Amino acid sequence: MKVSLSWLEDYVSIELGVNRLADALTMAGLEVDSVKERYEYLDTVVVGRIVDIADHPNADRLSVCKVDVGGRMLSIVCGAPNICKNVLVPVALPGTRLPGGNTVRADIIRGELSEGMICSEEELGIGEDSRGILILSGSHRLGTKLSHALDLSDTVIEFDLTPNRPDCLSIIGVAREIAAIQKTRLKRPKVRLSEAKESIQGFTSVTIEDPVLCPRYAARILTDVHVTPSPFWLKDRLLSVGLRPINNLVDVTNFVLMETGQPLHAFDLDRLIENRIVVRRAQDGERFVTLDGVERILDSETLMICDGKRSVALAGIMGGLNSEIVAGTTRVLIESAYFNPSGIRKTAKRLGLSTEASYRFERGVDPEGVIFALNRAAQLMRQVGGGTVIHGLIDEYPRPVTKKIIYLDVKQTNRLLGTQLDRDEIADLLKAIELDVTVIDEERIRVVPPSFRVDLERPVDLIEEVARIWGYNRIPTTHPINLARGKRLNKRLRVRERLRELMVGCGFREVITYSFISADSCDQLSLSPEDSRRRLVHIRNPLTEDQRVMRTSLIPGLLYAVSRNIKQGNTDLRFFELGNTFFYTRSDQLPEEIEMICGIWTGNRYDKSWCYKDIQADFYDIKGVVENLCQGMNIPGVHFSSLTGNHFPYFRHGYAAEISCGSSRVGALGEISHDVLKNFALKDPVFAFDINLEILLDCIPDEKKAKRLSRFPGVNRDTSLILDKDIEAQAIISFIDGLHEELLEKLYIFDMYPLADDKKSLGFRITYRSFERSLTDEEVNRIHKRIVQKVVDHFHAELPRG
Amino acid sequence: MREDIEKVYQEALKGIENASSLDQLSKLRIRYLGRKGVLTGLLRSISSLPPEERPEMGRVANQAKKSLEKAFQTALERLEKEASLRTEAIDVTLPGRPIALGRLHPITQITREVCEIFLRLGFDIVEGPEVETDFYNFEALNMPKDHPARDMQATFYISENTLLRTHTSPIQVRTMERESPPVCIIAPGKVYRVDSDISHTPMFHQVEGLMVDRNVCFRDLKWVLTTFVHQIFDEATSLRFRPSFFPFTEPSVEVDIRCVICRGDGCRVCSHTGWLEILGAGMVDPAVFEKVGYDPDTYTGFAFGMGIERIAMLKYGIEDIRKFYENDILFLNQF
Ligand SMILES: [Zn+2]
Repeated sequence: MKVSLSWLEDYVSIELGVNRLADALTMAGLEVDSVKERYEYLDTVVVGRIVDIADHPNADRLSVCKVDVGGRMLSIVCGAPNICKNVLVPVALPGTRLPGGNTVRADIIRGELSEGMICSEEELGIGEDSRGILILSGSHRLGTKLSHALDLSDTVIEFDLTPNRPDCLSIIGVAREIAAIQKTRLKRPKVRLSEAKESIQGFTSVTIEDPVLCPRYAARILTDVHVTPSPFWLKDRLLSVGLRPINNLVDVTNFVLMETGQPLHAFDLDRLIENRIVVRRAQDGERFVTLDGVERILDSETLMICDGKRSVALAGIMGGLNSEIVAGTTRVLIESAYFNPSGIRKTAKRLGLSTEASYRFERGVDPEGVIFALNRAAQLMRQVGGGTVIHGLIDEYPRPVTKKIIYLDVKQTNRLLGTQLDRDEIADLLKAIELDVTVIDEERIRVVPPSFRVDLERPVDLIEEVARIWGYNRIPTTHPINLARGKRLNKRLRVRERLRELMVGCGFREVITYSFISADSCDQLSLSPEDSRRRLVHIRNPLTEDQRVMRTSLIPGLLYAVSRNIKQGNTDLRFFELGNTFFYTRSDQLPEEIEMICGIWTGNRYDKSWCYKDIQADFYDIKGVVENLCQGMNIPGVHFSSLTGNHFPYFRHGYAAEISCGSSRVGALGEISHDVLKNFALKDPVFAFDINLEILLDCIPDEKKAKRLSRFPGVNRDTSLILDKDIEAQAIISFIDGLHEELLEKLYIFDMYPLADDKKSLGFRITYRSFERSLTDEEVNRIHKRIVQKVVDHFHAELPRG
Repeated sequence: MREDIEKVYQEALKGIENASSLDQLSKLRIRYLGRKGVLTGLLRSISSLPPEERPEMGRVANQAKKSLEKAFQTALERLEKEASLRTEAIDVTLPGRPIALGRLHPITQITREVCEIFLRLGFDIVEGPEVETDFYNFEALNMPKDHPARDMQATFYISENTLLRTHTSPIQVRTMERESPPVCIIAPGKVYRVDSDISHTPMFHQVEGLMVDRNVCFRDLKWVLTTFVHQIFDEATSLRFRPSFFPFTEPSVEVDIRCVICRGDGCRVCSHTGWLEILGAGMVDPAVFEKVGYDPDTYTGFAFGMGIERIAMLKYGIEDIRKFYENDILFLNQF
């Protein structure tokens, strides 16, 4: 919503400076978005002197002028009849955007260079004379800005209005707020109409068939009008708030719309079949061409303005081509109506059509302002279009909007705000914004809001007005007595932060990727057709193709982040993300949201340095990270097994493991398969883990318990075995664990290397320790030998010779 | 003679103590104790003394020689030690062995900071689904279908009645449905709106808060938000409370802080107003209470909400919001 200061001053005298005014409006809840000089667009229009005129060699009606713009001589092609030597003229330099929409350019016109444009008043939007170029009187320095030379200045304030204040979608509405702020008077325009004798009843009639969608419809008629361009003052007002003038009659409707906030429409009465108006709903599937030339398909929810036979306007939104004012129009029907806000909104939404009119109707115009606006428009049309105002008006108002009566309690007001205002203070604050206030008793007042304040319906609406006028910043600031009652953080929140710490400790950078990804990411991950991650949640109105569905895996987002960084030349990357994935369930149910944690590692194991060789990270690096996570969370019974089945098809076969905690399968880790890498334009190996946080949460013990520690020394024994290559390390570990040797404290594998003949060597160390005593060598040797023998027997292993 | 020996001895001792290199030391040795050395010469000349003086002078001279030998030995050890220390030193200016340094995303860091402040004030953290029903996201918050306020939050739809939440306010409704007052919660999380440019991303983060009890008033709201602003920025940050509109609060307020970039003189970040919008808030609208079955005559409350990206941008001096989701490692390494 834009207003110009010069227009505002027609209704209120402005006593504050522009900046103070803008500030005060913002603090009153009318947020000022920008304050701009209206004639900024004239900054590149300067005063020049025509020093020479020559005929254009290739065009009879054009001349080539030499124009001095102060130290510079420009050659400008001009076709104006009134050019003459030595006069001062406005010269628009290249780059100037004229109000008519054209931009001035340096150009060759019929073979002659033209380095600017000598303009008329009308072209500059500062007057109505378009017959020739503007010849400046008086003396001005060449090159001076035209706005300085002519002392042109006006301020345009643009508001970002909240939807509850449609009453401020007009110049008078904003002027009213300013008057309240300054405590000065609002001057409403006076309307005096001289009407013809003939009564409107002989010209037209209005029938409302749907009083719910159209509670009020009023009309007036003018005859013998002339459609012409508007006079300058009218154009100037519209231009000052960014509206384009069309013709005098249409401009009047737009002027009154801006002035009062009441949208109007002007019909050519002679183009209305049977010269009458019927307000009714459209037929389902009806087609209608609006003023903008677009054919629109309507439904039975759409309210239409019709004549005796057909639709002539989309009610409250836009007129139709079939009844608009044209050059030959002489008889006009002015419509001023009140339409149901949600009805207009539905239609505007459905058609994707928002206009100055629909914007106001859907927020709520003043139902009692209909007649004033209608009369104001009739008066102005007569003034700028001549003709006769027919006697009387039609005012169909089948369902008068009742005045609201609100009772406000002083105690309740103070209780909600934390203030100590008395009854009279509250009453005075409300009276200041034109509310009708009556005192009932010590504690209560009765308030009738003016009809333009459609937002005031309940006591709390009035309390807000009290706070607003009193000033939010004058309300005290005190410590709430109710504070501090915190509960223990829930497990998920605690676990999530601990996981973050652990990942950071492993040298990973946290990333956040979008929750929506491209629909083909399932294919990019090679997911099978029956994979549950194909239960996609689709977005109906995505911004881009690659944000079409909600992710069912964090892996694509991470791979994309990796790919992006590699393109930037950063190849050593360790990323992790914590976030939700979304699975379609049933159309009448919300999707299932599953929180995941994923990590990804590519490039070197160590950061580049003089002391490390470039060694690529591998499977065991990412596995180490997962082991760290599990140990850091004190999860018991974690084990890894070779990946089987088809649930993680994006890992490379043979280079991936499933992660389990006890009997819960929490996820997988491994090397991303070559096919998947290719889909993300990646070449070098990438390792990742993919863990379901919902399952992991249940595996994490709620409490940590300290164990008793032995004060006796441990004794180590190392053994190497030669085994079949296929025997997994985990099998040996589980087997030894299963022997339940009570003195065995710890087992770890210190060595592994492949041998010929599909064999491998595996070295492990066992630590033995007792809680009661120091163990003797003989004792330990005996136990260790027994264990080794059992392993050898069970796995058909050999001990190395020698 | 005795004086000569004493003089040579003192001279030599001084030289030895000041010697700063092995080379210098060996030259001194040759000079005093060498075959043609000064002290050697003196020792030799004893033979030319009268016989009765010889034993005494011999004793003195040998004493001096011994002492010097000892001094040479000490100096030798000292210099050798110094030399060896010099050759064993390492280049301490070589960079250390790198240990991979992980980092949290800046949005996580700011979310933590915000949550910690409210946790200290006694608020609890509650979470909720990111895909929501129209009811929780709009209807229960006093935004029926076809309410113009819905224009303020362009929405991604999944179906007629499901959508990506446009704010974390649905969590407030869900909490009030589940629990009776007093309620004192904050709700952090991802939210989604159809918008993308230098200051908007289609996904961003919010923290919203809600406090409901008997006798909670606007004055309390002002205290909580002032305290929050003073802790997340600094104590000297001034605030202003400006009337605004949200369908689920009344009175509604927008909280501005003095521009942290220009300190109020006006700059591009604050559109030359000297103020930055940082929070939306208000007293919970009675219509919302009615939807969740709270008695609006008994209970009052306030709600507030803020964008985490906005705070992060101001605190870290980030101009393009999209940087948060490009996940460029060079960007992430800064926080
Ligand atoms: Zn600033």
